[in-house]
Amino acid sequence: MDYKTIMCDILVVGAGGAGCRAAIEGANHNLDVIMLSKELLGKAHTSMAEGGLNVSLGNVDPDDNPETHFKDTITGGNYLNNQKLAEILVEDAAQRIFDLEDMGAVFDRTPEGKIAQRPFGKQSWRRTAYASDRTGSEIMVTLVEAIRKTSVRVFDEVFATKLLVTDGKISGVCAVDLKYGDYLVFRAKSVVMATGGAGRIFSVTSNAQLDVGDGYGMAYEAGCDLIDMEMIQFHPTGMVKPESAKGRLVTEAVRGEGGILLNNKGERFMHRYYPEVMELAGRDQVARSIMTEVLEGRGSPDGGAYLSIAHLPKSIVEFRLESMIEQFEDAGIDIREEPMQVSPTAHHFMGGIKTDEDAGTIISGLFASGECTGGLHGGNRLGGNALADTQVYGAISGESAAKYAKSVSHLGVDKKTITKEFERLEAMLNRKDGISPADARGELTELMWEKVQIFRKEEDMQFAVDELRRIEKDVVPNIKVDVPVKRFNPGWHQAMEFVHMVTTARMVAEAAVMRKGSRGAHYRVDADPNEKGYYNIVIKKGKDGKMEMKKEDLVITKITPP
Amino acid sequence: MTKTIKTSVLRYNPDSDDQPYLQDFDVEYEPGMTVLDVLLYIQDKFDSSLAFRWECRGGQCGSCAVRVNKIARIACRTKVEPDEDLILEPLEKMPVIKDLVNDMSQTIHRMRRIRPYVARDTKPVHPEIIHADQIEKLREIRKCIECSACLSNCPIVHETWDYPGPMIIRQIARLELDPRDVEDRIAMAMNEAVYFCTTCKMCEDICPKSIKIPALAVELLRAKAVEAGYPLDPGQKAFLDEVNKTGRAVTVKDTPLLEGLDKEEFLVDNPRGRVGFFTGCLIDYRMQSTGKALIEVLNRNHIDVIVPKEQWCCASPAFRTGDLKTAHDSARRVTEIFEKASEKYNFDTVVVACAGCGKTLREDHYPFIEEERGTPPNYKVYDMAEYMLDKIGKENIVPPKGEINLKITYHEPCHLGRGQGVYEEPIELLKLIPGVEYIEDQYKNRCCGAGGGVRAGYRDLSQQIANSRKAQIEETGADMVTTECPFCTIQLNDMMKGTEMKVRYIPDLLAESYKKGDE
Repeated sequence: MDYKTIMCDILVVGAGGAGCRAAIEGANHNLDVIMLSKELLGKAHTSMAEGGLNVSLGNVDPDDNPETHFKDTITGGNYLNNQKLAEILVEDAAQRIFDLEDMGAVFDRTPEGKIAQRPFGKQSWRRTAYASDRTGSEIMVTLVEAIRKTSVRVFDEVFATKLLVTDGKISGVCAVDLKYGDYLVFRAKSVVMATGGAGRIFSVTSNAQLDVGDGYGMAYEAGCDLIDMEMIQFHPTGMVKPESAKGRLVTEAVRGEGGILLNNKGERFMHRYYPEVMELAGRDQVARSIMTEVLEGRGSPDGGAYLSIAHLPKSIVEFRLESMIEQFEDAGIDIREEPMQVSPTAHHFMGGIKTDEDAGTIISGLFASGECTGGLHGGNRLGGNALADTQVYGAISGESAAKYAKSVSHLGVDKKTITKEFERLEAMLNRKDGISPADARGELTELMWEKVQIFRKEEDMQFAVDELRRIEKDVVPNIKVDVPVKRFNPGWHQAMEFVHMVTTARMVAEAAVMRKGSRGAHYRVDADPNEKGYYNIVIKKGKDGKMEMKKEDLVITKITPP
Repeated sequence: MTKTIKTSVLRYNPDSDDQPYLQDFDVEYEPGMTVLDVLLYIQDKFDSSLAFRWECRGGQCGSCAVRVNKIARIACRTKVEPDEDLILEPLEKMPVIKDLVNDMSQTIHRMRRIRPYVARDTKPVHPEIIHADQIEKLREIRKCIECSACLSNCPIVHETWDYPGPMIIRQIARLELDPRDVEDRIAMAMNEAVYFCTTCKMCEDICPKSIKIPALAVELLRAKAVEAGYPLDPGQKAFLDEVNKTGRAVTVKDTPLLEGLDKEEFLVDNPRGRVGFFTGCLIDYRMQSTGKALIEVLNRNHIDVIVPKEQWCCASPAFRTGDLKTAHDSARRVTEIFEKASEKYNFDTVVVACAGCGKTLREDHYPFIEEERGTPPNYKVYDMAEYMLDKIGKENIVPPKGEINLKITYHEPCHLGRGQGVYEEPIELLKLIPGVEYIEDQYKNRCCGAGGGVRAGYRDLSQQIANSRKAQIEETGADMVTTECPFCTIQLNDMMKGTEMKVRYIPDLLAESYKKGDE
């Protein structure tokens, strides 16, 4: 099996908000940094984030401070958050948004010329910094500009498939150049995982097509701990129509700017569920409220609720929600005049690779940041905390990876492991009979959407677990690419991603079965009322290759759960 | 019954295919379907190895630019028409990796060459105070998602990578507008050939974020260059000196139209309407017969035509090249002349038969005057074909009777179509003429290379663009190409020298048909 080996000091896997930030930080340390991007640089899912970035600058509400941001984050997360990680998030966010401005970001302003801040769900103050409703795009564009200034070598459309570990320490990754199909080994002194989430394991999702859980799958196989994998955020407002746009994000900023939710009777139904905070209840709460309306027959014709902003002045809508106008114009709706139809969509993984305050994992030299990590957001992530996460922990992971890289030399890599990995990928092309990746994927995403969704119950989840075990055993080894071509072959790309999707889905479903009570985004209709659920579930691959799960105590520094 | 869309996709795997080839697929139509949905359908139902890029499906990431029926678009925001066949091809100018996937290396190289980040020479103090009005324009051109679609159809990039293309010129303007950036972006823009742009607005039309690149980037950078003291090309400057001196961009040859006319009022019995006629420089000084033809055509259709004797250049060349002093002086003067005439003769409509003048009066004078004095000019501007079809109405147009038995195609002036939103009206006029066999040119909206000061300043480049356009026009097999812009007409005449192809101005042709019908 032919492959090329490429050397660097720090390898960053993933080129979204966290990956770019990590790479920039690493390059600041006079180290050779390579960043792998599965897509073209700048096209990562971060660019789709809309509403904003939480930072307690107090530019609009001067009483805001990191302490309150911390409290909102922990209560919003249903107390499951790793409080050490949350403390760092709220402390560092301000410096990181200044970094972005230093790099050239253009956020919207207050009348005094400071960064403007808008209200978001479950937050005590107006805290979310923004650039209209394309904040993620603004940040992504800025980071791309900054990357182009650094010495970071970007390898775009290169897909990492396996982490290489030598004697318990990271030594590199196996990867495929998606453009031409070449096999590549990257040897690095330290590696940062910044591979994003896995919304795509659900058939209805706000996520870009690349968000399939590569990082969760690779980290699991490499022996990392993964935490809170049952905690999936279903964003309450995804598009319903047209079919091809189903699940596309309708930013929380619509509600933040004053949008209201209505059922088919024209009732502002949030009165019934969360009268104090109404539309700005937690994302899990709003999602369940909408679904309850739908299940009880008060939904919109296409199975959602109405979200209306038509009562606001057009000029405000046009200035602050320009992408929403465009997005719904494509669907034939003028949101300045008519309500949108919305329903929940799989959006964010609170869980992921377990990391410490230095973004380190249990594998020496392996760091992680952004959505692929878990613990920070607990049972429910606040809108605006994900972009903050990418910048705060992106920088920390880059810094840690640099420090580590400076202290070690390159380790050897096991050629047998490498050859075996590339043979596995090659076999998908050479198999005579087998299952098409598109079919396999369809089955998996429907299964997850049907059985491990917003309202969960034991038998559904157990069914999903059994099915996923079967898929892992029978389907994964038999994936067959229809056209055996290595040069830019999406069929092959899907096939290579599939194993990561299955591993991720299994972790989600198995952990969901294990958690018997309702907590945060994990809501059971058959919840054990006696279970408070103040623990985290940690998953790892056992020595015998089986998935091992255990409950761990919460990491608490300041706020004790009630 | 379900509708199917015939979709042809340009397939190419350079590892195994000698040449790209079109492959046809029948795609089941669903309402609301986008080009991305079509591609995903093909990938799912027919060939999982079909290569194209996509990520967000929401117009945010800019991955999925392809050519849809010859024009670059982002696939996820381009709706499919149920009754139209689709041809999907990779972007132009960039080499193909496979099928619809382009190699973007050149684009990235060109982008990096402009040091595309905010350059600072001091450490910023936090918080940095930046006021909303300082970033108002910047915010507009900041929306770019780097989809590269605009590079694909840019007529300049088509001829030379010496010009980095709309997307990258936009990035230079983005940095120039950033109060924090300290680099000399004007020198950079000059070095990056900002004067090569013909302001054809194809990029603006293609842009999924509707960024007005010619106005907000190209013309802005040029204006700043002039302000900074960069001299215009002598070819361009000569026009502007003439404007300032005489009110006309060109010098007198034969008796000008306005001088030759014995009156200002061309009135008819029982008029249906009354318009002022803004001749523009070329109709007045070079195409006098066209001017007369226009008056005649309007009169025949029961429209009073007022031709103020004293007129002034719209200063399109000044707006396009960044000489804002000349531009604004002219805008004020033109407004004054036509407002006076409109009061004296009681009209509120001005008709223009030059695409460049019409665009300038509408897109440049109107907002400038409005901003300067609080109210816009008190008259409405129409293109001649637009006026006839939309104001007089097709059913009321006196049908021309003289047969003109020719195969005729149409060259759409950039500043008429994309500049003023007048697309179908000139073709409708052509079709009114008996005997005319209208031949559609699928590239009719491509730039001829004359505009934006390029013909005046960079004749070689202008000619290269013209030659590319020439091949497209000849491919139609028509006997005659018509248009509605004197500048395009001059360029077309030049490019068609030594060929059989005739070049005509639409009002001339109409007048000819009316005259023939009289005989």
